[in-house]
Amino acid sequence: MASSSSSAAMRELQRELETKANDLSKLQKDISKNHQVRKKYTIQLGENELVLKELDLLKEDANVFKLIGPVLVKQDLAEANANVRKRIDYISAELKRLDATLQDLEEKQNSKKEA
Amino acid sequence: MQEPVKGTVTPLASLFPPEEAQKASKRVQDALADRQSELDRVQGFIADNTALVNLVQRLPDELHHDIMVPFGKAAFFPGRLVHTNEFLVLLGEGYYAERTSKQTVEILNRRGKALESQVDSLKAMMKDLKAEASFFDATAAEAVEGLVEIREDYVEESSSERVIETGPPKPDSPRFSGEDSMKVAAEDEEYARMMLRFDELEKEELAAGSGDEHNEADVDHSLSQLSGDHVLGSLEERQVRKPLHHSKDEYATTEELLSKKHFEEDFANQLKSKIQLEGLKEQSVPKDSDDVSHGKSFANRATQSSSRGKDNIQALPTSKAETSVQSSKPATDGLKAFTGSIVEHTRNIQMNPREQAPSSSQSSGSQPTKPVSRFKMQRR
Repeated sequence: MASSSSSAAMRELQRELETKANDLSKLQKDISKNHQVRKKYTIQLGENELVLKELDLLKEDANVFKLIGPVLVKQDLAEANANVRKRIDYISAELKRLDATLQDLEEKQNSKKEA
Repeated sequence: MQEPVKGTVTPLASLFPPEEAQKASKRVQDALADRQSELDRVQGFIADNTALVNLVQRLPDELHHDIMVPFGKAAFFPGRLVHTNEFLVLLGEGYYAERTSKQTVEILNRRGKALESQVDSLKAMMKDLKAEASFFDATAAEAVEGLVEIREDYVEESSSERVIETGPPKPDSPRFSGEDSMKVAAEDEEYARMMLRFDELEKEELAAGSGDEHNEADVDHSLSQLSGDHVLGSLEERQVRKPLHHSKDEYATTEELLSKKHFEEDFANQLKSKIQLEGLKEQSVPKDSDDVSHGKSFANRATQSSSRGKDNIQALPTSKAETSVQSSKPATDGLKAFTGSIVEHTRNIQMNPREQAPSSSQSSGSQPTKPVSRFKMQRR
């Protein structure tokens, strides 16, 4: 009787451990995905900053084109500038959001590890 | 070994299992390889960029160039490049700008600079990783060799009690450590006596000499060259001059001079034996601060500078030893005063690359065929 109850408790514990391990691995997957996305965004941010710097250096009358699909569309310099700025803002906001979620995930991971 | 054994002996292998250390080392190596490939890629970009700069600079030299125009994947047909000073430069993110050759070169140069900064940061990262990798490798090697970490609590007053623990006793090493600790005790006592004498002399001089302000310049002069023998030299010079003004002090200063000489000899002995006395440094440091508190009198300055000079000399071997510890040990034992480690080899001593203490190695070098034990001892 005692042995059967203890083995039942053991099984219970084992199942609990398994679910926890699964949770942890899921969290770790999320974190690594987050890292990848963040890397992509960081690269884009760098590229956009480079573009903005070059656009700032251009004279007012320079011709600027934007590649949309297969065609080059002529764009106003001011418009292009504003577009790039907006894009940079968006990417920075996105990066900040990703940072927050990453921190959240890591906290969860740590608490799971301790449990 | 007469004294009771204090402290603990832990094999390094139990703290850092060799497999774990090797795994960590491997991971760092992988990261290093990643960085290396990244670096190669970026350097390829830089090469492309410089080639492009050259081409763009040459293009407007002619009004037109005869070229072969690629048509599809397989075919080329002859063509002619005109408008050689008009470029449509891709700025990134699908933005293009019309530029002249010169302006294009400027843009390309800016890009080259950005790439170079990337290379620099990559190189710095690789350097860090390399240091990390070598650390893990060293730890793994030590763990495999069976290095032992010894910790003892630091007892301040009675440094003579310091015992050098040699783990499982081997025939030759305890002999050395026994001698060492005896020597330590003897020199320490002598030093304590000297310091007592110094204190007396200081009190005398404090009472006698209060009008020594005119020596200020000399003091500064000697303070500026506080290293090694210079200290002794300038001290003597001053002490010879001093009795001219204060005959009362004569006795005191000569006495002091004598004891200082003694002191320096003593000190040379220590350097030779390469053993750091705990008491020496410990006592001299509080001494220093004491002197600073009532620093007007001449005698005080003299002892102060002498003890400082001694510190200078002593700092040499200490720091040498410390660097070797820091490279091999994790920084966990900051509070412990003494760390020593023993390396035991069943065959060959030459296997261990980081041999530090010559006094102990000579014992093992004489009989390389049987199991020998050597140790490195360092002060922190």
